[in-house]
Amino acid sequence: MEPYIIPTLFLLLFFCMMIGVPVAISLGFSSVMTILLFSDDSLASIALKLFESVSEHYTFLAIPFFILSSAFLSTGGVARRIIDFAVDLVGHIRGGLAMAGVLACMLFAAVSGSSPATVAAIGAIVIVGMTRLGYPEKFAAGVISTAGTLGILIPPSIVMLVYAAATEVSAARMFMAGMLPGLLMGVFLMIAIYIYARIKGLPASPFPGFKKIFQSGGRALGGLMLIFIVLGAIYGGVSSPTEAAAVAAVYAFLIAIFAYRDIGPLKTVAWRNTDETVPSATLRNTLAILKAFPQSFFDKDVKKVMLEASKVSIMLLFVIANAILFAHVLTTERIPHQIAAFIIEWGLPAWGFLLVVNLLLLIAGNFMEPSAILLIMAPILFPIAIKLGIDPIHLGIIMVVNMEIGMITPPVGLNLFVISGITNKSMGWAISASLPWLLFLLLFLMLITFVPQISLFLPELFDKLKGYN
Amino acid sequence: MFSTMINKAEENFLSLLLMSMTLLVFAEVVLRFGFNTGVSWSQEVTLYIMAWFVLFGASYGVKVGAHIGVDSFVKLFPEKTRRLMGIFSVLIAMTYSLILMVGAWQYLATLKSISLEMDDLEVQRWMSESIVFLGFVLLMFRFIQLLIKIIKGEAEGFSHLNEAKESLELAAQIKVDMIKENRINKTDKADRELN
Repeated sequence: MEPYIIPTLFLLLFFCMMIGVPVAISLGFSSVMTILLFSDDSLASIALKLFESVSEHYTFLAIPFFILSSAFLSTGGVARRIIDFAVDLVGHIRGGLAMAGVLACMLFAAVSGSSPATVAAIGAIVIVGMTRLGYPEKFAAGVISTAGTLGILIPPSIVMLVYAAATEVSAARMFMAGMLPGLLMGVFLMIAIYIYARIKGLPASPFPGFKKIFQSGGRALGGLMLIFIVLGAIYGGVSSPTEAAAVAAVYAFLIAIFAYRDIGPLKTVAWRNTDETVPSATLRNTLAILKAFPQSFFDKDVKKVMLEASKVSIMLLFVIANAILFAHVLTTERIPHQIAAFIIEWGLPAWGFLLVVNLLLLIAGNFMEPSAILLIMAPILFPIAIKLGIDPIHLGIIMVVNMEIGMITPPVGLNLFVISGITNKSMGWAISASLPWLLFLLLFLMLITFVPQISLFLPELFDKLKGYN
Repeated sequence: MFSTMINKAEENFLSLLLMSMTLLVFAEVVLRFGFNTGVSWSQEVTLYIMAWFVLFGASYGVKVGAHIGVDSFVKLFPEKTRRLMGIFSVLIAMTYSLILMVGAWQYLATLKSISLEMDDLEVQRWMSESIVFLGFVLLMFRFIQLLIKIIKGEAEGFSHLNEAKESLELAAQIKVDMIKENRINKTDKADRELN
């Protein structure tokens, strides 16, 4: 056993990342150099390994597909429909607009799977509305930046797919495990808002009536159906996450172009013009849709969405490919096993290990993107956790909640940047607006860490229903 | 002129790959549930498309700054040091792609010498997997371009993906839409009041 392998690998990795080499190449370079220096593997076998990592995992395809579906639906129009529905639903409670903001973040998060996009889309509309109704702007900004972090916890979540790719746990089980913690955090946030609103005497809007709720619900349903399609298909046992994601991408395209018409060739075509009869509107729409279908493949907006989705997908998949090379070096050198043996010898209990993991991830979350952290840390932590009897799904949820906290802590808190951007305030202001909620999130993290049942209840229930146990 | 053509071709090719992956898997689902059949080569082809998508796209990602990286440390230094760090990081990236270029060449040569074919299609694997070499050649090309740019002073180093900035563009778009809508509502109201 070479004593220099671990320092070589990690020092190279950190050095590269510090001086600004992209994460993917830092991972690849440090792994390749370690292999060249310490093992007999040929260069050809490294190339083979890299090619295999992007061509042998059918499950990885879910990543570009979900990114594509979220790119189609991450538009202002979808955000506005969801907000209208959320406001109608809970706006009549005291502090209701803030609660509606949280609810809208939860729903939009499920459609888009990205935290900063959720904060931008929901925040741009809700924060202005809240300040107009007399909420303190700082409070409004804090609520939205915190609720926006739910984007990666509520399924379908791209960060969870990345965790599944790094550890080979089932993405379907990860999604299932994220559901209850996501809902719980949303409810906790709303309760906190309600208490605050009672104390401060914040306003409530009048009850809009059930008819209006159904109307706005119907309009939002087009986008929200995506969640039901995805989760229904996966848990109904009819398809894999990859297939569900492909269906979601096609569905998102159809809804965005032909139903919502926020983008694409039908942007200026209304469903019904004023003073138009139903039959003539039906005929006009049918013709317009038939004409628009071939057009949409060459449409400027559609191309832009495809290209944006391509960029993000390529970036993630290229990091994953290199992270697999990195994980390969780790496992062949049995590095995680050595650390695990060391920890067990040291007598660190499972809860102590989890506490250390949390601290490590919180620090890392201050400097790196969630998916990069997951891909570097998961292959190291995963074997140790298994040795200590920690469920890999539970570990995954802990990592995701840690990443959520990273989004509202400086210097790389993405949500903070977005908040300071949409409110035209300084970063310092955004940080202080989010600070009380950071405490809230830390408490929530402790709850998730030390009560594994919250994460494991649904996946285990599902196993029982399927008769595995 | 020439570079915009290359640009367009690159972008269209990537969009086409993403679209065909999605539609292939979608078609498979439809065939299975609607007609209870399937296509034997579909899965293998989809996976090869993914490989081409990622390995071809990696160099495009360097060009448009789509890769993620850490810049909070680099930012602590004055411009001259930042550029030195940039040059050094590009040299590291070039070493990386040179090693993989050589490895990929050797790997493809082996595949060719034993003339292996794909599982479900009669295509030589050294051809269908050639992107593992081409991808790193393209990466090398983009790195050299970036190096020249840094030396000329047109860039400081790798530009990383800024997700927050992209989200803000969405927010700006929403604000513009809201202002437009308010104006329309107001003119509507004014019209009605006039009548």
